[in-house]
Amino acid sequence: MSDALAASRRPLDLVPYYKALFLLLVAAFVAVPLLATVLGGFKTLGELRTNPFGLPETWEWENYAGILFSGRYWQLLWNSLVIASLTVVLTLIVASMAAFAFAHIHFFGSSMLLSYLTMGLLFPAATAILPLFIKVRDLGLLDSYFGVVLPQVAFGLAMSVLLLRRFFKDLPHELLEAALVDGCSYVDFFRHVTLPLSRPILATVGTIVFVHSWNSYLLPLVMLNSDALYPWPLGIMVYQGEFSSEWHLILAFITLTLLPTIILFIFAQKHIVAGLTAGAVKG
Amino acid sequence: MTERSGAIVMRSGRPVAAAYRKKAIDGRLTALLLFLPPALLLFTLFVVLPIGEAAWYSGFNWNGFGKPTKWIGLDNYRFVFDTRGFGTAFRNNLLIIAVSLTIQLPLALTLALILAEKFRGSVALRMLFFLPYVLAEVATGLIFSFIYDGNYGLLASIYRAFGAEAPHLLASTQTSMLAILIVVVWKYFGFHMMLFIAALQGMDKNLIEAARIDGASRWQVLRHIVVPLLYPTIRLSIFFAVVGSLQLFDLVMPLTRGGPADSSNTMVSFLYNHGISRMRVGFGSAIGVILFVICVTFAITYKRWFMRNE
Amino acid sequence: MRIVRTLALAAAGFIMAAGAAAAQTTVRWLHIEQNPAQVKIWEEVARNFEAKNPGVKVEMQFLENEAYKAKLPTILQSKDRPHILYSWAGGVLKTQVEAGVLEDITAGVGDYKNKLSAAAVEAFTVDGKLYGLPYNVSQVGFMYNKDLFAKAGVDGTKIKTWDDLLDAVKKLKAAGITPIAVGGQDKWPLHFYWTHLAVRLGGKPAFEAALKGQNGGFEGETFQKSGELMKQLVDLEPFQSGFLGFKNQQALGFFGDGKAAMNLAISHHSATQRALAADKKGVPEDKLGWIDFPMPAGAKGQPTDTLGGVNGWLVTKGSPKEAVEFVKFFVSDDVQRALAQQNFIIPTYKGAEAALSAAFMQNVAKNIAASNYHQNFYDQDLGPSVGRVVNDATAEIAGGSMTPKQAAKAIQDAFKQGN
Repeated sequence: MSDALAASRRPLDLVPYYKALFLLLVAAFVAVPLLATVLGGFKTLGELRTNPFGLPETWEWENYAGILFSGRYWQLLWNSLVIASLTVVLTLIVASMAAFAFAHIHFFGSSMLLSYLTMGLLFPAATAILPLFIKVRDLGLLDSYFGVVLPQVAFGLAMSVLLLRRFFKDLPHELLEAALVDGCSYVDFFRHVTLPLSRPILATVGTIVFVHSWNSYLLPLVMLNSDALYPWPLGIMVYQGEFSSEWHLILAFITLTLLPTIILFIFAQKHIVAGLTAGAVKG
Repeated sequence: MTERSGAIVMRSGRPVAAAYRKKAIDGRLTALLLFLPPALLLFTLFVVLPIGEAAWYSGFNWNGFGKPTKWIGLDNYRFVFDTRGFGTAFRNNLLIIAVSLTIQLPLALTLALILAEKFRGSVALRMLFFLPYVLAEVATGLIFSFIYDGNYGLLASIYRAFGAEAPHLLASTQTSMLAILIVVVWKYFGFHMMLFIAALQGMDKNLIEAARIDGASRWQVLRHIVVPLLYPTIRLSIFFAVVGSLQLFDLVMPLTRGGPADSSNTMVSFLYNHGISRMRVGFGSAIGVILFVICVTFAITYKRWFMRNE
Repeated sequence: MRIVRTLALAAAGFIMAAGAAAAQTTVRWLHIEQNPAQVKIWEEVARNFEAKNPGVKVEMQFLENEAYKAKLPTILQSKDRPHILYSWAGGVLKTQVEAGVLEDITAGVGDYKNKLSAAAVEAFTVDGKLYGLPYNVSQVGFMYNKDLFAKAGVDGTKIKTWDDLLDAVKKLKAAGITPIAVGGQDKWPLHFYWTHLAVRLGGKPAFEAALKGQNGGFEGETFQKSGELMKQLVDLEPFQSGFLGFKNQQALGFFGDGKAAMNLAISHHSATQRALAADKKGVPEDKLGWIDFPMPAGAKGQPTDTLGGVNGWLVTKGSPKEAVEFVKFFVSDDVQRALAQQNFIIPTYKGAEAALSAAFMQNVAKNIAASNYHQNFYDQDLGPSVGRVVNDATAEIAGGSMTPKQAAKAIQDAFKQGN
């Protein structure tokens, strides 16, 4: 595994070159569409045809500026932020409480209830999307943030509870016993000991839930009707519908809507990668 | 953890026990009553009930207004299976799984084996490859609908550079699914790669060292030690590929909306196009129930057969 | 965590602020018009209405055509639904009436309806009750680019029969010109071919018989023949390459850019193609021709029969009475004339058609006035689910994935399933 250097010292070993070539090809496969999108936003429609790969001849800043100065773009991001934040906060509260109960309190039916909850891992929200729509409608939540947030929380619970419960169980049990002897209640212990100790896992779960909510499309598509509430994945589809062939504008819009994700990813890549893969593995 | 797993005892008789123990039981009850209901309520209301209701609604011919009244038994299931588009959607889901197994998984594994080593740029490349997974499916779909666009797209430019007329990949029943499969690989291989890298880094290096000292070649080490050690991760990766395929929707909508002629629907986009957007609640619910049965059957069998120890 | 908490608080504050603002009556009006020039007039109409009715605010919401159709069923179920909705009348309207989501505005409109074209008002009447008011009628026909026709040596005014059209397509192709632009991804532009052929072949009697399930319903001879004739055209490969991936707007832009000679269009698309062309000018008025849908051999329908739409505004249940007032205002003489003058619509207000300035639209208005059988678009007329299957099936004929026979069967099956 650690002989890459050794291998490269042998004069006729072509393996490192094949590896480098392979990596280069894959990197191009990943990067070219993204770069073309970013640069395309700086071109005119005509130049997209004549100069698809190169840098723009003249940088058309107004494509981007037009979008940045429109209320629409900010409205979309704001809506996404509100929906994602509410989803994260609610999921963390509800799931950590349940996970604590499953981890630390022995009661009849505990494992049965846990299996009941983890059933949620077995199928996607899409299977029940129509009845879910009817339910949200009957609750009067259609076309409101919570019409999206509550189903999202519900469908994220299974994974969140499992991750949190595992972490809670690994906290030293003596702490809890000692606290109980000292007359501390479960609720106090949860608030003052468990939660502060669980920041890493809360961050992980929060990240997963946030990314899922930030990117989600189907639930908002079905539950939201007025564009004042649209999160950005819906907004970007509407934008594309309106500007159908004006690809330079659409590309600029895509770039700007992806910007928050990419910035966040660059600054918090470790947490995001760890979170998303851990969520997958342990969930 | 601890060996006693007593049920909550709420007898009125008070045995002589340590005072703290009783208090702990009361405390437990309070805690349970406080901690469990929100999760159970939300889950029941928005996950379990809708599934049950899907089964109920699937027996009706209903446009979603008012209450369902026109009971038609299992007809909706017959309609679903009679619709050619559903068969295509099912086949497409299988196709996505096949491509995940034959192209995406080997690609991810190879890259993981290369990038698990530390060299200059390895971390940057890992991040680059993982980036598509973080981007929203909708945006990814739009980016590629630009790439594939027959007039302004990158692909068209390449064809024009060679003096050929650009194909409209998304506009032909023959190629629409191919176009989507390419995007699927683009978007998800990095995630699987990261799973493998995580597994490789957690691997016991001594085994490999020992084998090398015993004179095993690099290929032999890979074939007989590394890959077998990765089997659990490979099984996991397959599991995610299948589950991901079964829920794929966001990517399809901006690219083809499932068309042309229903050639590139997945089961979920078929459900959207033929159920939700036409408000055929019964028909759509029937598709949902079928999808549910497939998902649950798969998850349970797969876990039982392949992931028993994990 | 602190950030999250702050955000949640901010979010909560935002939600409350949004709820507190409305002290006056707000009329929410959802439209699907994409042409900025036309929307500008509409905005002025809204502002004028507000000026005349203090305390009333008209709020415009926009959805793109396809997004609107896909979302409409769910929009109608929301309690915050718009008060005024765009509609194509027909079977879709009937379903909405049955669902009880529309307001009966018969009393609110009163005698005002007599000022509008009776046929158009009739389209918005279900069981004697009025649910909306029409502001535009349209005809489906070929608009063509006179320059491109001249280049291929085709005379558009001579195209009268289906064979004439096929000949023209062949000549255009021979001259290296894309004969027809069509938005195949949206499907309904393709359903015009099949539907209009059926209107020509069978006339009103055939459609009414099919609705009653007579003569084999939509699987009957007329409809199979429509498919076969459509296939004759499709086999010539008349459409732009990749047409199944084009949305209608893209196809109109393609036509507006002078890249295709014809487009089977709704009459008001003559204005839309300008807005959607890359240069925002499109095919100018004097270069734009119109061909009434040609007559196939053995047609039983009248040449005067027309296929087209009736567009109007529905008022949803529980809307303030100002919504009805606004709809009336929108179809008043002045507004109708203003829109007609720019050739955006064929007005429904009696006499307002005199304001039409383009010969193109004047001609269409005459056609519609002379028509005894104005068939609404099938995809609207047959109701939400059957209509969509007509679109699916005809797009499949165009894509070669269904034979005319299979397509007719698919439509009849959907009709029998009835959901």
